[in-house]
Amino acid sequence: MNTTNYSKTGWLTVVLVLTFVIGWERYWRHENYVLSYNDDESLWSSKRKQVYQSSHSRPVLIGSSRIKFDLDLATWERITGEKPIQLSMPGTSPRPFLTDLGNDPNFKGTLLIDVTEPLFFTPTGSFPEQEAIKRVKAYPNWSLSQQISFQINHVLEANFVFLDDLNLALGPLLTHLPIPNRLGTWGGPTFPYEFGFNQFDRQTKMWPAFVADTNLQRQVKNEWVNIGSHSPKEAIAGPPLEEIFKETRQSVNQIRARGGKVVFIRTPSDGPMRDIENKMFPRAAYWDRLLSYTNTPGIHAADYPALSRFTCPEWSHLTPKDAVFFTQDLLPVIEQKMGWSLQRNPSVSTFRTPSSTL
Amino acid sequence: MVFNSYTFILFFAVILVLHNLPFSWKVKKINLLLASYLFYALWNPPFILLLWLSTVVDFYMARLISVEQRPRNRKLLLTVSLVLNLGMLSYFKYGGFLLENFTALLSAMGIVFHAVKPDIILPIGISFYTFVTLSYTLDVYRRKFAPEPSFLNFALFVTYFPHLVAGPIVRPEDLIPQFKTPRRATGQQLSWGLFLLSLGLFMKVTIADGLLAASADLIFGLPFPVQPLDAWMGVLAFSGQIFCDFGGYSTCAIGVSLCLGFELPDNFRYPYAAIGFSDFWRRWHITLSTWLRDYLYIPLGGNRHGTVRTYINLMITMLLGGLWHGASWTFVVWGALHGLFLCIERFWRDRSAQRRAIRAEAMVDGSMLNRAAIIPPIHVSSPLAQFGLAMLTLLLVNITWVFFRAPTFGGATLLLLSMFGVIPNGAPMLTNLAILTVSSITIGIIVCHWLMRDSSLLAFSKRLPWWGLSLGWSSLLILVILTQKSSGSFIYFQF
Repeated sequence: MNTTNYSKTGWLTVVLVLTFVIGWERYWRHENYVLSYNDDESLWSSKRKQVYQSSHSRPVLIGSSRIKFDLDLATWERITGEKPIQLSMPGTSPRPFLTDLGNDPNFKGTLLIDVTEPLFFTPTGSFPEQEAIKRVKAYPNWSLSQQISFQINHVLEANFVFLDDLNLALGPLLTHLPIPNRLGTWGGPTFPYEFGFNQFDRQTKMWPAFVADTNLQRQVKNEWVNIGSHSPKEAIAGPPLEEIFKETRQSVNQIRARGGKVVFIRTPSDGPMRDIENKMFPRAAYWDRLLSYTNTPGIHAADYPALSRFTCPEWSHLTPKDAVFFTQDLLPVIEQKMGWSLQRNPSVSTFRTPSSTL
Repeated sequence: MVFNSYTFILFFAVILVLHNLPFSWKVKKINLLLASYLFYALWNPPFILLLWLSTVVDFYMARLISVEQRPRNRKLLLTVSLVLNLGMLSYFKYGGFLLENFTALLSAMGIVFHAVKPDIILPIGISFYTFVTLSYTLDVYRRKFAPEPSFLNFALFVTYFPHLVAGPIVRPEDLIPQFKTPRRATGQQLSWGLFLLSLGLFMKVTIADGLLAASADLIFGLPFPVQPLDAWMGVLAFSGQIFCDFGGYSTCAIGVSLCLGFELPDNFRYPYAAIGFSDFWRRWHITLSTWLRDYLYIPLGGNRHGTVRTYINLMITMLLGGLWHGASWTFVVWGALHGLFLCIERFWRDRSAQRRAIRAEAMVDGSMLNRAAIIPPIHVSSPLAQFGLAMLTLLLVNITWVFFRAPTFGGATLLLLSMFGVIPNGAPMLTNLAILTVSSITIGIIVCHWLMRDSSLLAFSKRLPWWGLSLGWSSLLILVILTQKSSGSFIYFQF
């Protein structure tokens, strides 16, 4: 092949690839796709780096997906003047994060731990810990090169909706092919796109379409049922549970010994999800025991009328609108419980009726 | 810095521009050298000191060796270089492993010894650049290559970023002469280099990371037995992943280098179409296998000291080749299996050659009995028989991959027992989509390797119309963009 042909080949390739990218982006925009940041190791590491600037009004949040949906970071910032550092990971136990922060001699801040019992009380090293462990391990090796890539990626992801790795990458796209599951196997949950999008501060929010569409909500409920059918039928108990309490207490004590503060939070859940959680993880044996064993304060949504009046459209998470109200209502509870003064301007956190109870 | 990152795209764009500006050749080489240090330092800056140490010591040792005439002193100087390079490699790569085995040995002897676990981080690429600098010193020692007078050329030879962290393992004659005269990619080289970069990224990002890694990780990470289908699919997924990961890196490296006007040696030549293990090692990680051949197997005596010594030399070479990949006994077993297969193949070939010689004599005598046979003999030279042998080789290669990938012997045994249905009632784990993906890619790789085994990509591209090549190239890039994973590390970085 001669040089001219190579040149033609190259230019045609550029045109074809650009045409595809533009067309692909336009297609998803036409579908009203919401811009979402990839919740990858780099984004997590960028927040992990900030934990040393933590304070009561800027706590570090660790937990599962509930605290990512339910605690509205912008609302917290609006009221306190500072934005929490969100380190929670959907579908994971927060315990590897707690161990990591406990072992970090420089972390002396405030830690809010979201407790979703089926994820928090899982054996050490088990599947729900994997994603959390991956991030904890990635952070110390977050190289300069990766940090530069992260900055470039930030610019790109802020402008192109098709760069949503969670839903629009090749792998997730293939899972939407009409290929039935092999008997006895399960490829993991497949949530509708509209279930959530991720912001750069790692806030997760439901799409407006999801809040409005009960069919989409039903799809997610079905996925919870599916996950339940592939999960252990019995909650962890006996020595492995004792080990969890012990490890948790050790990490909490490590943080407290350095002057840090720790609070547990149990956010609302609904319907059959709550029924199963209550049945499998009786409060006295898990939540109450966790607080007493670790000698740590906790806020259980069920104990506060202001926090227990919310409805979760798919049994587990709050809508973006209710997340605003939940956050507004949570702050006075934390202040009262902990004796902290968090609100820079208390007048902005006036009580309002949650949308879901209208 | 990895090739599949935005940082690299930015870095490479700047380098390309700088390399094509009207600077003097020396300035361009300094640019490349500084860029190479930056490429390395952006991963972990302190380890650049090791790279400098290796560069400086080998440059001066080689000069001293070349002027020294007394054999004993020459050997002494060579030893300094070997001790430094192999010492660094041993400390960083095998320190923990040696201590662990020492502790186990003492324990077996009834001596209780609690060693403090060393917290050693493996400097990326150390296995590769150590071999690069060693080949230089050894070649100068053997008077095969004259010492390079220019420190700049030598430093660039060691540190040149396309090959620095994961090969191809270059020899002095591969690269140093190319630094002597001004080089700039022609339009054809630039286009072909960019095509190779795209192909390498497609292999790594789309195939290895995007489509195969999850299935391989799942199956190799399970602590319980699985159904034979799942076990085989897991191994085939890893087989494709390791090829596309490492072959992808080499293809990227060759492409990137070509864009700058420098040619790097081929590292893979359709290995999954290999007929026999000697053919496999002529096609897989070629620069390592030739390095081991030239600097280990041949100095050990090669096949010059009789049959038994040849087998012993083969085994030693492959055992060390296995250990080069990682400080673990599973890698040693992987190397041992390859050594064993190479020995069996050699034995079989020798016997076949003897039989052919006897048969030829018998034909001449007219006493050929097999003329009366009902079943016609299988001609090993027929395409079908050749393909069958290639598949047999691939099957055995896949069995060896179990030891390469499994984290422990227990895990490897469990998987092998699952593969051959020895453990009944294993769990089904992979979905139909995963099985379809792994099997399609495996078939695709085999077909591609078989059709291309005696050809080259360049020759193939020349047979395509320009727009056909462009359609293929665009498809690769679109799939890379769609896969999106942009920073997955290469498997061979850990070696």
